[in-house]
Amino acid sequence: MLLDHYQNEDFFDEMFTESGTVRPHYQKVAERFQTIDTGEHRSKQTAVDLAFMRSGVTFTVYNDDQGTERIFPFDLMPRVIPDTEWQRIEKGLIQRITALNLFLHDIYHDQKILKDRVIPPHYILGAKHFRREFMGCNVPKDIYIHICGTDLIRDRQGNYLVLEDNLRCPSGASYMLENRAALKRAFPDIYRSARVKPVDGYAAELRKVLQHVAPASLGGGQPNVVLMTPGVFNSAYFEHAFLARQMGIPIVEGRDLVVRDARVYMRTTSGLVPVDVIYRRIDDDFLDPTVFRSDSLLGVPGLVNAYRSGNVSLANSIGTGVADDKVVYYFVPQIIKYYLGEDPILPNVDTYLASENKDRLFILDNLEKLVVKSANEAGGYGMLMGPWASQEEIASFRDQILGNPRNFIAQHPISLSRHPTWCNDDALGGFEGRHVDLRPYVLYGDKITVTPGGLTRVALRKGSLVVNSSQGGGSKDTWVLNGDS
Amino acid sequence: MSEPLTPTAQKPISNRRDSHVMLSRVANSLYWMSRYIERSENVARLLDVNLQLMLDFADFNDEQLKEHWLPILRSAGDEETFYKLYERADSESVTEFLTFREENPNSIISCLFSARENARQVRDQISLEMFETLNECYLFLKSKNAREVWLSGAHEFYEQIKKYSHLFQGLTGSTFTRNEGYEFINLGKFLERADKTTRILDLKYHILLPSVADVGGAVDAAQWQAILRSASALEAYRRFHVEDILPKKVAEFLIFSPTFPRSIRACMQHLDEDLHRLSGNERREYKSPEERSFGKLLSDMNFMTIEEILNNGLHEFLQLVQTTLDRLDDHIYQEYMYHPPVDTQAEILLHQQQMQQQQ
Amino acid sequence: MTPAAPITHQAPTKGPWTEPLILSISHLTRYTYEGVVKDSFNEARLQPITDSLQMCRDFKFQLDPASSVRDYPDFYANCVHYFDVPEPHESLEVVAISEVQTLTESRGPVPVADRTALESAAVREQHFDFLQSSEFVSLGADVWREAVDALPNGLSDVWSDTIAIGEHIHRNYKYTPLSTNVNTRAPEVIKKKQGVCQDFAHLMLGICRTHGIPARYVSGYFLNQHKLPGEIEASHAWLEVFIPDYGWKGYDPTHRRESDTRYVKLAVGRDYSDIRPVGGTFRGKGTRKMVVEVSVQRIS
Repeated sequence: MLLDHYQNEDFFDEMFTESGTVRPHYQKVAERFQTIDTGEHRSKQTAVDLAFMRSGVTFTVYNDDQGTERIFPFDLMPRVIPDTEWQRIEKGLIQRITALNLFLHDIYHDQKILKDRVIPPHYILGAKHFRREFMGCNVPKDIYIHICGTDLIRDRQGNYLVLEDNLRCPSGASYMLENRAALKRAFPDIYRSARVKPVDGYAAELRKVLQHVAPASLGGGQPNVVLMTPGVFNSAYFEHAFLARQMGIPIVEGRDLVVRDARVYMRTTSGLVPVDVIYRRIDDDFLDPTVFRSDSLLGVPGLVNAYRSGNVSLANSIGTGVADDKVVYYFVPQIIKYYLGEDPILPNVDTYLASENKDRLFILDNLEKLVVKSANEAGGYGMLMGPWASQEEIASFRDQILGNPRNFIAQHPISLSRHPTWCNDDALGGFEGRHVDLRPYVLYGDKITVTPGGLTRVALRKGSLVVNSSQGGGSKDTWVLNGDS
Repeated sequence: MSEPLTPTAQKPISNRRDSHVMLSRVANSLYWMSRYIERSENVARLLDVNLQLMLDFADFNDEQLKEHWLPILRSAGDEETFYKLYERADSESVTEFLTFREENPNSIISCLFSARENARQVRDQISLEMFETLNECYLFLKSKNAREVWLSGAHEFYEQIKKYSHLFQGLTGSTFTRNEGYEFINLGKFLERADKTTRILDLKYHILLPSVADVGGAVDAAQWQAILRSASALEAYRRFHVEDILPKKVAEFLIFSPTFPRSIRACMQHLDEDLHRLSGNERREYKSPEERSFGKLLSDMNFMTIEEILNNGLHEFLQLVQTTLDRLDDHIYQEYMYHPPVDTQAEILLHQQQMQQQQ
Repeated sequence: MTPAAPITHQAPTKGPWTEPLILSISHLTRYTYEGVVKDSFNEARLQPITDSLQMCRDFKFQLDPASSVRDYPDFYANCVHYFDVPEPHESLEVVAISEVQTLTESRGPVPVADRTALESAAVREQHFDFLQSSEFVSLGADVWREAVDALPNGLSDVWSDTIAIGEHIHRNYKYTPLSTNVNTRAPEVIKKKQGVCQDFAHLMLGICRTHGIPARYVSGYFLNQHKLPGEIEASHAWLEVFIPDYGWKGYDPTHRRESDTRYVKLAVGRDYSDIRPVGGTFRGKGTRKMVVEVSVQRIS
């Protein structure tokens, strides 16, 4: 009933075909949601929001010392992906993380890819997150990226494209788990009949990955794994505490750890307990004041050298940021070709590099038509949305690009796919199309696993393409079916 | 908060590799959260009782007012800081200083602020209800409404504070997981309670009577009654001693009573049990010098009489108890909760850096 | 058509400091703290390099309070020793004693190398780090202006222009101890027009890099035969420039000369931040005093 007035407009829609028919994998969802009226929707939404608030599924926005807790808005209608589509996505993600891992190993050892001139060296040497301090260090099982969140979008034709890889401290997995729990409570009937692949194995898988990379010096004993957080004032603290609890591991801050004789320990009431693996949610810069930023209070003095000595493992490893640099993103297809001899299964979005001469000319001539991103910012900051920008913004970006071309890439605005999302915009209430993306989580341990689904983020504002939590985004549960309908 | 000391010995390296360890920092936060709440409740009670007492002695002159309030001021605040903010010590200035002033680290508002800060650090260790209660109490104190309530009827105000404290302690008892953290919460509570009871008793020795003629008079009796009330002991005492309030009996009651839960001995017995649970030592086994002097004092108290104490000096005895408890607090810190001290500037920078992290 | 013989500079004249020397060096660093400190974590770059121009024959590293020491090679192939001192202590003393043999320059005369030689992709990529701004050497407007003043006609030959830049600095800057501190950056040096060896090196790095000459910071020692009475012996800073078809060649702007066998290299990097002789963190109030004692003696 509430879907009767739904319009695709000129976008690929997840649920409806161009002619307005429901896609086969959305059948069950459509049937159920046709029977929901405004009242039922409101009461289910309220129940879900309240549950999130109570269990602390919040992120904190700090304006003053107080900080307000907000829920990451959750939309009740799930996003559904049929199995065949998912198989392809999974293969593509596994291929990508395998290649990027080999890339990182190479960059921090022999740099063969640079010597073979596949990537101009200055892009790597000039990358903000290339960590010279980590050159030549060996990491357990040669795995650099243990956890990766790759953002996927769909273009007008419905093709999946990779928007970016997040392989420093990707977040959002906790929302993926909590969203699933919420949807199971709200719509237990469709969930059961739809035969959705479960996601609740994530914490157990993650724990296995972390144990897998325990230092060789441990000799096969049960490793002590901890999660290292910046602290309670960090906006993502909920997720840190949640994951630690789910995995049954201690959550620590830098000041709880101490390095003695190149080994890491935690300060407990029973004395110093050895730590073998650290799942760190702190950026490289703040990890160790002796090696990186000396003013960091979040880190542990001596940690990098303990890592270097092979007495502790870090997940993700140090220096992975060079691979999620937006300029290196440009070269990922070449990286896949170089290390695996394959073409990428999941293509990149067409990208222009401001530091390449002909690209730069093209970018500067077409600023008002392109989306320009700065190479190293996250969360949608440092971005120019050409078609919607003011003259001043365009002029400012022109200057910035000319001043530091290496720092900028540009892409055509992609018309992201849309999904019916509940909107309270008009008095009637109802579903309207909102742009979505998808962030599946890839875990790299003994084997590479991709959790079926992931986090679907929704740009809640009408017409907006920005899906980040801090800028008005929300999320949906993502269902991968055991089959295609 | 006691000054953190540099440890003389290095922390031992444990062989434990399981996940059920308690971080020193977490133990420290739980301990201080508990101590600060207990402290705030005790200050509230002390002020409430003494304000009521003043109603009976409305004709006290300035000197007498000062004599009455100064010892109370000293027991929960700093005289020097007080005189920087106020000119004279009377009911209003002293109670305001001990209730609302953030410059006074032992005022009710400061204590609750510190308790809340500590609770925040260990949010995922305590139950949601526990944190919400503490949060509500804090927000109440910060609101304009609190002042109005206080001005219109201080008794209602202090009752409210006590209610929050009792609610918090009750919730702790019913919702907090019985792990090591529970021991630290109890240690904090009982140590603070025992310490405060010694100070309340000691007060009597600092409220100098106007003249010898007043001994045994109405003023004296009222003050002893106030002492009992400050420890919530008046009704319990009356059940025990049907006759009049005698100083010797009051002191005996507050120090030794095995049945009254706030007596010094009762608190120390709880401390003894919790210490043993924490250390895993056998009963009556005390490993460190601070634990040993504590154990000895507790054992002595089982055989002492009030006459002995009064002969040797009540004040001296109370001081001995306080010192023993102080040393025990240091020992607990050294043994279990030691972690690097961070100064306020660094703490602020720490928070900023925490907020800056992207993920 | 036979290729023309490469144009070179005149062969270096044989001077007193072209013969190999064996030098014994002792470098002591002592920190005295305000009260007691603990949990001290440190890295030291105090072991002389071994390359075609010098050989480190012996090296001893001593610590007080004693602690176990490990080492690793950093990004610029410097040997880094690292150690921690967890227990409470009031002072930390680090002593490095080395015996180094410096060797005669055997590469022959320096070839002429012009702008085009520097602009080759190979040079630019291989020495990327030594052509960019770095922490102490930002290639901004003030450095650029100074670079234009130093070489008004631009770059024509790497080595002779390096010497010209050195002359420029010597003419316009005064060696003044205590006019700057260990954290002074290049733009401030330009404003003050004075500094010590570290500042001159940073300044010259900025000018060289602005002209496209790859240049790296060198920390080390030199045998000072003309010590003035009361002059404190200390470690020294100079730089090396990269000359295509030749390699790295050292120049000392403080003494207005190319480096010779008196010079012993400890570490190379982009600037001071890459080569700190001793650095680290600790818990405690702070450092009351820091004493550095260096002695460089000629054994033969």
